[in-house]
This record gives sequence, C-alpha cells and structure tokens, in this order.
Amino acid sequence: MPSRQASARYSAFGLLRRGLTHRDWPRVWREHDLAPAYDAVIIGAGVHGLATAYYLAAKHGFTNVAVLDKAYVGGGGSGRNTAIIRSNYLTPDGVRFYDRSVKLYESLAAELNFNVMFSQRGHLTLAHNDGSLRTMRWRAEVNKLEGVDSEVIGPKEIKRLVPFMDVSPEARYPIMGALYHPPGGTIRHDAVNWGYARAADALGVQIHQNTEVIGIDVRAGQVRGVQTNRGPVSAPVVLNCTAGWASLVSAMAGVALPISTHPLQAAVTEPVKMFLRTVVVSGSLHVYVSQTDRGELVFGASTDAYPSYSMRGSLEFTEELAGHVLALMPSIAKLRLLRQWAGLCDMTPDFSPIMGITPVEGFLLDVGWGTYGFKAGPVAGETMAELIATGKTPQLIAAFDLARFAEGRLVGEKGAAAVGH
Amino acid sequence: MFQIPCPHCGLRNVAEFRHAGEQRRRPDPQTATPEEWRTYLYTQANDAGWTRETWYHRFGCRRFVGVQRHTVTNEVRPADTGPAPSVASPPAGIDAGAPDAGGGAM
Amino acid sequence: MKVPTSARRSAPPPEQICRLPVQPGELIERGQPLSFTWNGRAHTGYEGDTIASALAGSGVRIFSRSFKYHRPRGILTASGLDPGCTMQVGDEPNVRAAARRLADGMDVRPQNVWPSLRYDVGSANQLVGRFLTAGFYYKTFMKPQRLWPAYERILGGFAPGGRIPRTAEADYYDQRYAHPDVVVAGAGPAGLGAALAAAQAGARVILVEEEYELGGCLRWGDAAELALLDELRAAVDASPDIEVLVDSVVAGRYDDNWISILQRGLARVAERLIKARAKALVVAPGLIERPYVFAGNDLPGVMLGTAVRRLINLYAVRPGARAVVLSANPEGDAAVADLRRAGVEIAAVLDARRGEDVRRAVGGSGVKAVEVADGRRIECDLLVTSIGWTAPTSLLNMAGARPWYDPAAARFRPGDDLPEGVLAAGGLVGDGTVEELVAHGRAVGAAAAATAGFGAGRPPPALDVRTHPALFRASTHGMVDFTEDVSSQDILAAAAEGYDSSELVKRYTTATMGPTQGKLETVNTVAVLAEATGRRIDELGTTVWRPPYAPISLGALAGRTHEPVRHSPMQSWHEAHGAAPLIAGAWIRPDHYGDAQAEARHVREQVGIIDVTPLGKLDLRGPDVPKLLNLVYVNKWSKLEIGSVRYGVMCAEDGVVMDDGVTGRLGPERYLMSTTSSGAAAVWEHLEGWLQTEHPDWAVHIAPLTTYYASINVAGPHSRELLARITEGVDLSPDAFPYMRVRTGRIAGVDECLMWRIGFTGELSYELHVPASYGVHVWQALLERGADLGTAAFGVEAQRILRLEKGHLIVAQDTDGLTKPYEAGLGTLVKLDKDDLVGRPELVWQQQLGEQQRLVALQPEDGSIVPAEASQIVRGTAIVGRITSSRFSPTLDRSVCLGTVEVALAEPGSVVTVLLPDARRIRATVMPELAHVDPEGRRLRV
Repeated sequence: MPSRQASARYSAFGLLRRGLTHRDWPRVWREHDLAPAYDAVIIGAGVHGLATAYYLAAKHGFTNVAVLDKAYVGGGGSGRNTAIIRSNYLTPDGVRFYDRSVKLYESLAAELNFNVMFSQRGHLTLAHNDGSLRTMRWRAEVNKLEGVDSEVIGPKEIKRLVPFMDVSPEARYPIMGALYHPPGGTIRHDAVNWGYARAADALGVQIHQNTEVIGIDVRAGQVRGVQTNRGPVSAPVVLNCTAGWASLVSAMAGVALPISTHPLQAAVTEPVKMFLRTVVVSGSLHVYVSQTDRGELVFGASTDAYPSYSMRGSLEFTEELAGHVLALMPSIAKLRLLRQWAGLCDMTPDFSPIMGITPVEGFLLDVGWGTYGFKAGPVAGETMAELIATGKTPQLIAAFDLARFAEGRLVGEKGAAAVGH
Repeated sequence: MFQIPCPHCGLRNVAEFRHAGEQRRRPDPQTATPEEWRTYLYTQANDAGWTRETWYHRFGCRRFVGVQRHTVTNEVRPADTGPAPSVASPPAGIDAGAPDAGGGAM
Repeated sequence: MKVPTSARRSAPPPEQICRLPVQPGELIERGQPLSFTWNGRAHTGYEGDTIASALAGSGVRIFSRSFKYHRPRGILTASGLDPGCTMQVGDEPNVRAAARRLADGMDVRPQNVWPSLRYDVGSANQLVGRFLTAGFYYKTFMKPQRLWPAYERILGGFAPGGRIPRTAEADYYDQRYAHPDVVVAGAGPAGLGAALAAAQAGARVILVEEEYELGGCLRWGDAAELALLDELRAAVDASPDIEVLVDSVVAGRYDDNWISILQRGLARVAERLIKARAKALVVAPGLIERPYVFAGNDLPGVMLGTAVRRLINLYAVRPGARAVVLSANPEGDAAVADLRRAGVEIAAVLDARRGEDVRRAVGGSGVKAVEVADGRRIECDLLVTSIGWTAPTSLLNMAGARPWYDPAAARFRPGDDLPEGVLAAGGLVGDGTVEELVAHGRAVGAAAAATAGFGAGRPPPALDVRTHPALFRASTHGMVDFTEDVSSQDILAAAAEGYDSSELVKRYTTATMGPTQGKLETVNTVAVLAEATGRRIDELGTTVWRPPYAPISLGALAGRTHEPVRHSPMQSWHEAHGAAPLIAGAWIRPDHYGDAQAEARHVREQVGIIDVTPLGKLDLRGPDVPKLLNLVYVNKWSKLEIGSVRYGVMCAEDGVVMDDGVTGRLGPERYLMSTTSSGAAAVWEHLEGWLQTEHPDWAVHIAPLTTYYASINVAGPHSRELLARITEGVDLSPDAFPYMRVRTGRIAGVDECLMWRIGFTGELSYELHVPASYGVHVWQALLERGADLGTAAFGVEAQRILRLEKGHLIVAQDTDGLTKPYEAGLGTLVKLDKDDLVGRPELVWQQQLGEQQRLVALQPEDGSIVPAEASQIVRGTAIVGRITSSRFSPTLDRSVCLGTVEVALAEPGSVVTVLLPDARRIRATVMPELAHVDPEGRRLRV
C-alpha cells in the first residue's frame, strides 16, 4: 500500500493536526492517463462500479482495473437517490441478498476509513388496507426466518415512533399497521461513493471521470475492450454498472435487455428542527420520507408512469407527493419544498436486477436495479468482484441472471415492489 | 406536464393518458418459441430518442392512440409524422453529467 | 399568532430610533402602527413594513445565528433571499423576514439560537472552526462504530431551521387552472413593459411579482424613475387584459409551458397554486446583487448596495451611522447618494473600478471597522458592497436553456437556446437605463404575444451588456455560502482534496444547497473553485437550477384533497345500521354490522343480503362477443346459451392470473361481464386494448355498468322464498331457474332487474342487479318482506368467511404476481384447444412443465388456532408455502385456511408445519378439496 495512506488516514486527531497546521489533505482519488489495456474495465463510477472495483482490489488482489464514467464520481443514480437502506424484502433470495448489503454497510465506515453516516434509525412501511397489511405480515415472516429484524406493529406503536403521524381511523387512508424494520435507515450517499472511490484508488484502481464509453468491441463472441471519448482501451472483462443507460450501453455489445427506463423523482424541503426519526414509507400513497441530520425532509415516490430519459421533473409529482405527505402528517403544511430532481431507473419485468454473464463472453452485467440500486451497492460489488475474479457466479446472485427472462423464471419480488423504499 | 395530440380530442395533458408501451408485433401464439414470446413480453427497444408508442386516452375518448415521442425531451408528434429515426446509442448532451446547482440528494 | 399577555405587560417597545423622515417612495403607513413581539419582547412597526425593516427601524442588528458556527447575522440583502433574516413566526418556520410583511400581533422569534441571540452557546463552534472544515464529519466518528448514533444526535441537534407544530389547524389552500396567452414573471421595468405590450397586442396576460408592489428597482429610484413607475402602474391598472398577481411567484416552468405560480395574500386562503398552460412565458426577474467574499463579510452591518437602497427608500430606515462603501457599478454610486441623503456619514467610498478594495471587516457582534486594501483602518458600523450581479436564469434552465459565462460582464448570461414560447427580458438579458429596459420589455412582450398568435412581433433588440469588473473574492477569505456557513477556504480545501468540479464541490461542502438554492452563492462558489483549480469560470461550466424557483409550501402543492370516495346507493342505510367501514381502494364498504361470525352463521342457516355494488360490471354487445370472451378467458365461451352464466378466469400475456368473475348471456348479442371490484377499470382497459389494437375488425361494444346498477347478493337457504315474495315475471323454481342461470324480471316493483343464480358464499343465492336509483328501495323491500324469514344484512367480512369455507379463491390474495391458473387450482378450466387465448404460450409451457406450487385447503390440527394470513409454511427453516387466507369457521366451529404449498406437499392428507408470527409451530393437514364446507355443491344447487 502506498505510504501516502498512513498520513492521509482520516481521524479526529488528523483533523486536529491539520487544523493546526493548515495543511491540506491529500487528493481523495488521483487522476491518470488512460492506459491502453486493463484486466477489467468497469463502466459507471457509481456505487456499484466503485464497490466492485474496491472489492476486486481488496479481496482478490485484482488492481489493474479502470472505472470509467462519462461524468463525475457518483453523479448518476448513486448521487440522486434518497439513500434509504433496508433488507425487509419479500422473497428469501431478496432478503438474504439485501441483508448482506446491510451488514456490509454497517462496517463500511470503519473499513473504508470514511464516515458514510449510516443511520439505522428504523424503517416503517405503512399499511392502509388489509391487503397491504397481509403483505407486511408476509414480509415480516420471511424476514424473521432469514434472521432479519422485522415485525408488524399497530397504530399505537406507530404513533410512538412518529408522533407527527395521523393514525386516527377518520383519515382518508387510515393506518392499520406497519412493517417495522429497526435496522433500516439512511446513509450519506455521496460519502459511500467517495469512500469506495478513495479506498479503491489507494489500492491502485484507476478512476477516470469524464471518460465516456462510446463503443464496446466484441469479436467472435468475446468482449475485447471499449472505445471511449479519450481513445480505445482493451480488456478481457467489461462490466456494465450503469443505471439509466444500461440498455443503451449493453446494446453496444449487442446484448438486448428487458429494461424500461423511467424517471424517479425526489424532493427536499427546507430544514426544520428534528421531528422525524424514522424512515416512513407508504406504498398505497406512493411516498417515502425521512429527515436528514441537516433537518431537511427528503421525499421520494414511485417511478414516473411512463418511460423517459428526461430528468427535468414534473409539477404533478410534487402535488401528489405533498398531498400524500400531508395525509400522513397534516401539521407540516407550512413546510416548504426547496428543490426537486429526478434520476433514471432501469426497471425490469420482475423488479429484480440483472447480474452476471451474458451471451457475450467477458461482458458482464450489474444492471436493472430499478429503485433498489443504492441499497445493494456493497453486496453487488462484492458478488460481481467474486464473479470477475473467480469466473463463477456466486450463489447469492444466481437467481438474478439474464437468462431467467427467456426461460420464464422470474423472481417474485414484484408483489411488494410498488413503492418499496 | 407535456401534452399528447389525441387524434380524437386534440392536444391534451399527459395525465389523461396511460402509457401502453412501445409499438410491437405480437408473435403467433400457436407457433412462437419461448424466446420469441418472452422477447415480446419483456424486451423493449428503450431508445433514447424518437420512439413509436401507444397511449390509452383513459380520461378522454378511451381510444388507444399511436404517437411518436422523443424519450429525452418528451416532445410528442402524431404517429404519421414521417419516419421516426431510431437512436440506438447513448444520447449526448443529457444533463446527467453537467454541473448542476441543485441535483443532489441528501 | 397572538401576542403573549406577558409580553404586553412588559417594558414599552423600543422606539423607532433608526427611522428617517418621510421618503418619496416609502411603503410604510406612518399612521398605521403595528405591534408585534420579537424574541418575546414587544416591538412596533408600520403597516407596509417587512418584519426585518420594522426590527431594523427600532435598531435591531442581530437577526439570527448561522447554521454551523452560530455567528451573529444581520441584514445582508434586505430581500427574500436574505440569509440572515429567516425567522419563526408563530407556528410557521423559516419565514423570510426581509420579504414578509409585518402584521399586527405577530410572534416573531429567531431560529438557531440557544439560549439567546446575544449569548449563544453554539457560538463556541467558532473557536474550533478551523477543525470543523467542510466535510469534517466524513473524516471522523468512524470508530468505534457503536458511538456513531450518539455523535449523530449531536450533529442533528445543530440542524438549522425553525420548528413545526405537532398539531395545527388546517389552513385552506386551493388550486386554480389558468390558460393565459402570456405569463410575465417579474414586474420590474422590463416585466411591466412586456405585460403592457403583450396586452396591447390582444393577449391575455398574467403578470406575476414576487414582492408586494410592482416596479422592481424603480421603487427605490429617483423622482424620474418613480414617475415612470406611476405611469406604468397606471397603464397596467387600466388594462383589462392584465391580471396582476403580487406577493406571488412563478415557481416552475415544466414541459410545454406548464407553469406553476404560487399566489399569496388572498383573503381566507393561505396560499393558492395556479397551474397555467401559457402560450408564452416572459422571464423578467432582473438581476440579483452578488455578495463579496472577504473576512468578516457576514458580520451584521455588512450589506449590499441594493439592501441599503431598499431600507432607506422603501422603509425609511437608516441602515447605519457611519459607512464605508465599496462600489463597482452605478448601483453602488446610487447607494452612496442615498446614504448621504439619509444622513449617514460616509467615511470612505472605495471605487473598485479604480482598483480600490476592502481587506476585511472587523467586529464582534457587528461591524466596528473596515481594513482597506491599502492598509487603512476605517471606523464604521456599516460596510456596503456593490460588486456585481447574478442573472437568475432559473426559469430558463427549467426550459432547457444553458447560461454561459461572459467574462466581460462578470456574470452568467442566458443562452439563446430557448425553446419556442419562452422569452427573456430586461436586466436578465443585458444592461440599460430604465427607459431602455422598459423598451426591451415592450419588444419582448410583443414577441411573446406574437408567439401566442397576437400581432406580428419582431425579434426584440439586443440590450447592451456593459463591462463590469470581475470581483469575487478580496485578498482575505470569507463566507461564500452564508446559510451553510461555507467559506472560500472550505472550497479551496475541498478542491485540493479532489472535489474539484462544480458538482463535487457543491456536494462536498454543501455550498448552494441551502434555502436560497445558490441564487446568492453559486457564482462565487464557481469563481473560488476556478481560482483553486487554475481553471476559468466558463471551463467549470454553467449551473443548472432545479425547480422550484422559490420554496413552495407543501400545503399549496397539495391543495385540497381530490381523491374521490365511492359509495353504493345503500351507504346511508349501512351507516344508519352501524356498519364498520372497510376501505377497498376508492370504495368504502360495510365490513360488518357488529358480529361477522354471527352474520356468516345467519347466512348458512337463514338468509342474508350483502351490498356488492362495487363488483365490476361491463355490458358487452355485438356478434363477436364470444370471440372476445374466448380470447380473454382461459375457458370456452362459444356455446354459452342465452340465460346462462359461466365462471371465467383471465390471464395476462405472461400467463399470470389477473382477474376472475362470471359472465352471463342476456340476449343473442348481449352479455354482462362481472369482474373483481378492484379489477373493474383494468379489465375494461384490457378488453378495449385487445379490441382496438389486435382485433379492430371484431364487432363488440363495451359499456361500463358498475355504478349503473346497485348489486345485492341474497344468500342462504331461505333466499328463494324471500325472492319469490317480491319478484314478478320470473319462475324461481329450481327447474325453471337452476344454478348458473340469469333471468330478467321485476323486483319489488322495479323493472329490468337482473338476477344471477350464482354462489360465492356456497349457499343458494341470487345476485340482483337493480337500477342504482332503486338500490335502497329493493334493499329495504328485501329486509321488510323477509323479516319473518330472518333476513339480515351481512358485510364483507362475513362474505370472506363464507367464501373461504367454500374454498373460493380471491385473485391477488390467494394468488400473487406470478401465479398461473394451474397453481391456483384452476387448471381444469384452461382450454388450450382454442385458436387464441391471451397468454396461451405460457399456459401451454406451464402445462407441459407442471407447476411447482399449488393452492390447497389446509386444516390446522388444533382447530382453535387461526394462523395469521401470510404465516409461512416451513420445513425446518426453509419456506415451502404460506397461508393465503384464514378465518375461524362458524359453520365448522374450527379454523379454515387456504394456502400455497410445494407440489410435493399438495397431496390430500399431507401434514405441513405452519410457523405462526409468535414463533409457535403448528401442524395442518392438506384437505382433499378446496372447499371445507359442502365440497359437493349441494347447498347451492337446491
């Protein structure tokens, strides 16, 4: 490991020392010329691409790796999501997979020496009718069998956790109960991206920002490398870790994907003093909300109803969002919405990702994350790194292969997925 | 809130419509292979550019309406406006990579 | 917002020590004093004051404490963007006190202070500021992991902003749709000109002004400018085609000129959101004055030139006693003149155009002196800077336009890549005298009207753009983002660490992320970053502003609730008879009338009636209906006789069960289809889709009848007898009207009622569909005429018990998003020897491969236990199935269940383990039939 690491180690003491000496910290990641060849090229410097690169280097000693991004680190979905972390999925496959991700997130700050501010403040998914209460029970039972802390709770306990919530039976959509998931919470998404980038860089991985892949070279069914706006790069392994552009990037390798790209909008309010400790989700009302340490409420909803690559956002999103948030917490009507934005989600038919090999040898996929991508960053990185390093598909992601669509083996996560934050 | 030119009702807000998908051909259900059928079920072109698609005018004439839409700008034109060029490469100039004073999520 | 009585009794309010004599353009009504409290203490102001001007008038200098370092803050811009003037007013947090009009009785409090503005404990953070550089939290608190939640609480305690109440009386918010020809955003000289010219061309105009008065910068101008304002205002007032909205703001521009306008200042309406589809939008916000970065630039007493001009001219407030002014433009020079006129001693004027500059402002709770670049130290209590402008291109960005940096003008300027129907006018575009700005506005307004189809506007003339010195940071470091407490040093440090693009530096330092969303800070941030990285501002790129242009309350966005509730015609009866409501999508239905078990027992033993109006009902007519039914249902329909009904299951193209119901043939070419309540709309669209896109040649017409009919199911052994008493024209005898038939007749004197003999409950039963307006009449007739038979109403819960006893599945409860008919015990219905069938290939393949799961009836060994629905069926810790439905059966006096299990466990007599939510494991046996009660169907065929 380069010696610069020792002095660059982040700590309270380091802050104190540099505060006194006014010395700048070293660069969080370095800039490089693009080499003509790498052992692996990863397209997309979001959390998936960076985590894959980090685990390739840290666990498998695989460091001759380039992560390419057409813009900057963490500028796509990884920097636009609402940063909610949970593992209370519906299928055992889903629960095991995301539980591994939560475990990795729990130790990530220490492992990366970068505070990612994982705040396990608890996660509530509200049920407003007996059908969704049944689904919550289903999730709770599967979660408990897989060792994940989830339970169905009633309106009184909900009120105790969220004093601002209207749990009265007179509400237009009365709250009948909720799935409570104590390990769920929020994280600082940028910190995760930067932490992985910094750690991967320290291990020798090259991160190339403003490097756009404009073609993928395939000969005789085998990937040979990529063409970029900075020139060609050859590599025996090319991993597509993009979101929003996954089907377009895969098309460069001649691989068609069952993906439809939809905007997912989010919004944030002005800060107010802390009043909401828990993450609150209502599938029926298409809304999820949490309060950041800075005091802002962060809102999200379900994806837009039609596919689009537009990230301009819409007024109707904010109208519906506000209406439903006020249905849950009527007293916050005077809080002001400060900013709205959108990211792109690659939706698959079964609301589950597409991971692993393709008909093109060496061209691998880690795409189709829909609205769940950020939650899965660490475990996706860990498993994709293992696939690249060993050539074998890890059991944890076997169910998420591309071939399942042609073979009619869809994953059963769709039931719980209408708004699953 | 972009607008869709309904051939029966005129220019109407998109909120009146349901997106019914890209226009595609249904394979013969008697002879389709699993691959053909599931490609029809699951795989879209998902182009970033002009696409031909169908919308259902749910809160209007209740007709299924064919249009061309640019999936980056959401410009819409009637289905019969010349051939829609296909764009099968990542679009240039979309704001994902641009410096941005307000795009961040906490 | 009542003034606390304690405050009223306290010391008399401070006098208006900083008020000037009457100013020509002042907005305050000196004859209308207002009283309010500030920080619990009584104060006074005048009608027309903002909260901030009233406080400044009585000599208040510290208005708030900053977010991170709790530095004292005063007035900086004296506008809605003022970062130091955010206050709590009553139960409303984050009020822009420099923009909000004072009202009598307001309870105004500072935010972010503890215990008081003057002595704030958090200000100790200033002492350790050098260690709390931007992003410091990323670099510490990693270990030990278990302490992070405690650290987090401390960080969270520093969250800025006001407090929201836990309960609040609901204010009235509303929304309005508008279809103007032209919307003009901003009513300064250019906006006024644009609105007048557009209206003169014949366009209907909405003119929107963020402040309380029209005029923009004309309001604090000289006598000639005030006269021009009077003239323009009179013309606007006289124009019937201009709707003027003040205290309102164009908050967003969305696709196809869908424009959101937040309107305030309405009587009895807190706020109104106007949604306007405009043919043209004229963006005329003027320019925003940009703060200067130097040490001490956030001290109370450091103000912008426009701030002192506003204070003096609009509110007759003297902003200080002795001033130093740094001026780089005519606005700064005008500020000097205003200060002189207001009797403020001018200690020095530093002319930036001649290279003069400040170094730092010195002071503790306010400016005491200024150190000048040449080394002088000048005592003063006011430092005024006028060093440049920011063009608020936000609305243009939302239309897709990119601003570009013009180094000569030292500001970003709007690009010319505007879509049709979006135009920019006035100071946003270029510089000029007020007359030139009005003229430019007029030309743009005429062009906007032409876009909207009025007149033949010409392309507006270009406005000159004057050169302006590029001033961003002095030789010292100071605040770049005042609300986020981000200094220029923070930005340099971030860039050195590699966060060196506009986007990364923003995310890392949080500069521009606060309540002003970059309107004051963005350009300085980019400029300091340019300095740090050795790049030019234009290389670092433009900035994109996101909607909304100004913060907008959740209440205004939500408006009033527009989510309809659906009731059957019999709802009033249900309510009068104690029905517990069940919310089923849009429908509110009777769940039970007190005791569902008793209601269910009653149906099995006597006769009950249930309101099933929400059942989807579609009228299908035409010669090709059988073709449609064959296509959408898995079973065959060609030979359905007139007067017969049949159960059908619909699948989607992926073979997954999507809906079920019965369809009856009422005439040669007339059918009535029923669907599930929740599936009614989707099934209709599904049918229309197949008819319109794949089979436009088929002659079928569909009409929805769900709410045309009130629907009542009469179920129980006495149901025939009951119906016989009120039915005319239908022979109800078992031979004449057997199971699965439909008849039309007269019920309780009502003609054209449909009667289906079907049995979801498993009892002899008839489903009546009567014209909706007679629903209550027929319902009551059944109860009255059947009183001696024991006729009683039952609710949805009793129906669920009954159907579960009978083993009838509910789609989406006993099936899920991947269930195919074979897995739901419906395989025998599927007929693959049809030409076509929605989902046919998938059904063929599933039939060949066999299913993995199957729906079965389950009986717990201990019949007193009702396993919760969604309880998992397990083998060890492996999941092998789940309970999909469960109830206690009053008929059998034990629990009954449906569940899915792996096929290997689906054989009758298999014993499975059910894991209950309380972790108990119980055993249950797979039953031979789905029906627990009357599997042979004798009861419903009598």
